[in-house]
Formats: sequence, C-alpha cells, structure tokens
Amino acid sequence: MSATVVTLWLINVLLDTFGQLSFKAAAAGHGLGEGAARWKAMARRPWIWIGVGCYVAEFVVWLAFLSLVPLSEGVLLGSINIVAVMVAGRVLFNEKFSPLRTAGILLVAAGVAVVGLS
Amino acid sequence: MRRFYLIGFLVLVSFDTFAQVCFKLTANHAMPPEATLDWVWRLLSTPWVYCAIACYVGAFLTWMTLLEHAPIGPAFAASHLEVISVMALSVVLFGEKIGTPQLIGSALIIAGIVCLAISETDAEKPPATT
Repeated sequence: MSATVVTLWLINVLLDTFGQLSFKAAAAGHGLGEGAARWKAMARRPWIWIGVGCYVAEFVVWLAFLSLVPLSEGVLLGSINIVAVMVAGRVLFNEKFSPLRTAGILLVAAGVAVVGLS
Repeated sequence: MRRFYLIGFLVLVSFDTFAQVCFKLTANHAMPPEATLDWVWRLLSTPWVYCAIACYVGAFLTWMTLLEHAPIGPAFAASHLEVISVMALSVVLFGEKIGTPQLIGSALIIAGIVCLAISETDAEKPPATT
C-alpha cells in the first residue's frame, strides 16, 4: 500500500470511530424522552451533528480510498472499523469484553493485517 | 416470523453490498482522485453516488426495523458479512483477482465476525447464574 492509501485508510478509521462514538454520546443517558421527543432532544446535542459531520467526511475519504484500491481489498481493509469501534467502546464507555469477543476482535485484526501487509 | 428475519437480513446485506458497488462505480467515474472541488463535482455528476446514498438510507431503515425485533447478534453478523458478497461481485463486475493473502485475510475476518455475532447474542441473554 502506498503512503496515500495508508493515510486515507487511517483517516477513514478515525472518522468512522469518532462518528460512531459521537452518535453513542448523543443517544446515551437518561431524560431524553421517547419517540419524536427523543429525536428532538438528541438534535439539540452537538454530538449528533459532530457525528453527521464525521460521516459526511468519511463518505468523501472512502471514495478517494476506493479510487486507489480494488473494491475486494477495500472492504476487507475497512473491516478494521469493527475493531476500532469496539476497542474505543471499551476504553470510553467501559463496555465489557468476553473471551469470545476478544477472539473475534483479534481474528478480524489479524485478517486485516494479512491483507494490508501482503 | 423466521421468514421475516431471513428476508430482512437478505435485504440488509443487499443494500450494503450494492452501496459498496455503487461507491466503486462512483470512484471509477471520477478518476483521478484529487483534493480539488473539480473531483467533488465529478463525484456528484454520476448517478452512482446517488444510488450509493439511497442504498445507505435503505440499509439504515432496514437495520432500524430489524433491530426492533431481531436479536443483535445475527443482525450484527448480517450487517458485516457483506464482505463476502462484495468480494464476489468485485470479481464478476470489476474483474478483480482475489489472491491468497486476500483469501486468508477474508477467512480470518469472517471467522472474527461470526465470533462477535455469537458473543453479542450471548450478551443479550440474561446473565447466567455462576
């Protein structure tokens, strides 16, 4: 992989993870109400708009990334997003890792490494 | 009800798969990629980018509908196993070659997703008495 491809890949992971975490932050907590009221309450939180901004930026970065790598390789490399979000969830939201979950994360990371380093 | 889930998962995977195919078609149309407004205009001037957005919205709505009733584990797996269908379509539509590292890597990734799906399903159940 060229330096440009690696950079785009890293930016994509960062944007995806930060976007997901922002959505989580927007949706987390009590007192948001139910149904339409809940959506309105979330729309007043800056986090949801930060999340949307990340996703729009990710959209463009992903298109640039796919211009440079074959689609089959692109989706495999993109699987790292699963790992990044789960690790971040553990660090920031204290989500638990069962042994099976750890195994799954390691397998996905190993698979991405095999494709990326080939 | 089982049939509802099965169809729902198939719809979800189809939306995700076609979104990626449309992304690739958009990227190919706008070649070469460059950090200019010109490139952004080339992206926006192909119908494929709008197909990709439509597929994304479709996938989101399907996901939200499924999550109301379906267990998260299988739903999680279905939403990521599009890796397989996207790879297959890459060969058919874009003539891409899948090498040995890609085959090994995809096998590891799929095994990982299956583990994660099972672990999510376990987490849904009430904690077992230990």
